[in-house]
Amino acid sequence: MNAVFLIVAAIFAIGLVLLLFWALRGASLRKGGEEGLGIIEQAPRHVSNMVQIRQALDEADLQFAAAKGSQALAARLRRERRRVVMFYLEAIRRDFEQLLRIARIVALLSPEVSSSQEYDRLRLTISFRLRFQLTRLRLMMGTLVLPQTDMLGQMVATLAAQIELAIAKLGERAALAAELAIQSEQ
Amino acid sequence: MLALILLCRMLALRLYRVYPLFAAYLTCNLIQAAVAVCLYQWLGFSSKLAFRIGWSTQAVVVVIRALAAAEVCRHVLGKFKGVWAMSSRLMLTCGILVLCCALYFGRDGYQFMVTKLEIGLESFIATCVVGLFCFARYYDVQVSRPAGLLGLGLGLNSCVKILNDLVFQKFVKSYLAEWNYVASSAFIVVLGIWIWGLWKQQVAVPVSGPGLSTSSVYQSLMPQVNRRLLELNEQLGQLWKTEPRRP
Repeated sequence: MNAVFLIVAAIFAIGLVLLLFWALRGASLRKGGEEGLGIIEQAPRHVSNMVQIRQALDEADLQFAAAKGSQALAARLRRERRRVVMFYLEAIRRDFEQLLRIARIVALLSPEVSSSQEYDRLRLTISFRLRFQLTRLRLMMGTLVLPQTDMLGQMVATLAAQIELAIAKLGERAALAAELAIQSEQ
Repeated sequence: MLALILLCRMLALRLYRVYPLFAAYLTCNLIQAAVAVCLYQWLGFSSKLAFRIGWSTQAVVVVIRALAAAEVCRHVLGKFKGVWAMSSRLMLTCGILVLCCALYFGRDGYQFMVTKLEIGLESFIATCVVGLFCFARYYDVQVSRPAGLLGLGLGLNSCVKILNDLVFQKFVKSYLAEWNYVASSAFIVVLGIWIWGLWKQQVAVPVSGPGLSTSSVYQSLMPQVNRRLLELNEQLGQLWKTEPRRP
C-alpha cells in the first residue's frame, strides 16, 4: 500500500475526529438567536472613520512634515500613523464580523432566503479575510497601503448592501403575508 | 444486543417517526449481523460465497448509514431552507470529492477492493457529518442532544473504521485479529453514545422550527435591523464621496 496515502488518510481521519468534537462542542454550547436585539445595537461603527484614515495614509502629509520639520519627525509620524491604521484595520474586521453575525441571524430567521446570497457572502468572507491578512502583513512590513484599506472598507459596504437586500426581500414577503392574512380574515 | 436494545427503545418511544432512516439502519445492521453469523456457521470462514454475501450486505448497511447521516443533517439544518440549500450542496460536493480521492489515490490492485470502498464511503459520511456541525456552529444553530449524539456516533464510527481499515491494509496478517476486535469495540462505544442520546422520552418531541413562529419578535426586530442598515448605508454613501483633505 502507498505509504503517502496511508499517512495522508490517517491524518485526515484524525483531523476529522478533532474537527467533529470542536464543531459539536461549539454547536451544542450555543443557543440560537441568543443575542436578540442586542446585536443590532452593535451595528458597524468604525467604517465611518475612513476619511481620517485616508488622511493618515496620505503621503503628502509626511512630505509636508519632512519639509517643514525634520526627517525624524516624518519617520515618527509615519510609525504612529501606521499603528493607528493597524488599529483601524482591526476595527474594520470587527465591523465585518458584526455584519456577518447580523447576516447569519437574518438568514436563520428567513427560511425562504435564496442560497445564492449565502454563496456570495461566503465568497466575500473568504476574500475579505485573505485581503485583511495581506494588508496587515504589508503594513507590518512598513508599507502604507491606501488602496488595500479602501478595498476592505468597500467589502464591508458590499456586505451591508447584501444584508439590506435580504431584509428588503423579507419585508416584501412579510407585507405579502400580512396582506393575505387580512384578505383571508375578510 | 446493544443494537437490539436501542432499536426496541426507539420503537417504544416511537422515535422511528423522527429518525426513520436511522431506525432502518439499525434494523438492517441487525439483519446483516444475523445473516453473516448464519453464513459463516454453515459455510465456514474460508468460504468465498460467505465472504461475498457478507461484504455485499455490508455495502447495503453502509449506504443506509449514509442515508441516516443525511437524515440527521436535515433534522438539524433542514428548517432553515436558505442555509440548508447551500450547506447540503457543499457537504455533498465535499463528500463526493473525498470519496473520489480515497478511491483514486488508494488504488493499488484489487486485493483490498472492499476495504478501499469502505474507506471511501466512510470518508464521505464522516465529511458530511463534520460539515453539518461546522455549519451549525457557524450559523449558531442549536443542535438538539439526540441529533448531536447521533451525529457524533455516526462521525466517530466512520473515522474509526477509516483508521482501522488503513492499519489493516498496511499490516494485513498481524492485524487481522485486532481489526475485528477494534471494529467491534468501536461499534459498542458508538451504540452506547446513541443509547445515551435517545434514552429519554422528551426527545420524541419534534424540535421546534425557526424563530419565525412568533411574528411579534420578527416585526420588532426587522425594522430595527433595516433602520440600522439604512443608517450605515447612508454613512457609507457619504464616506465614498468624501475626498481626503490636503494639508
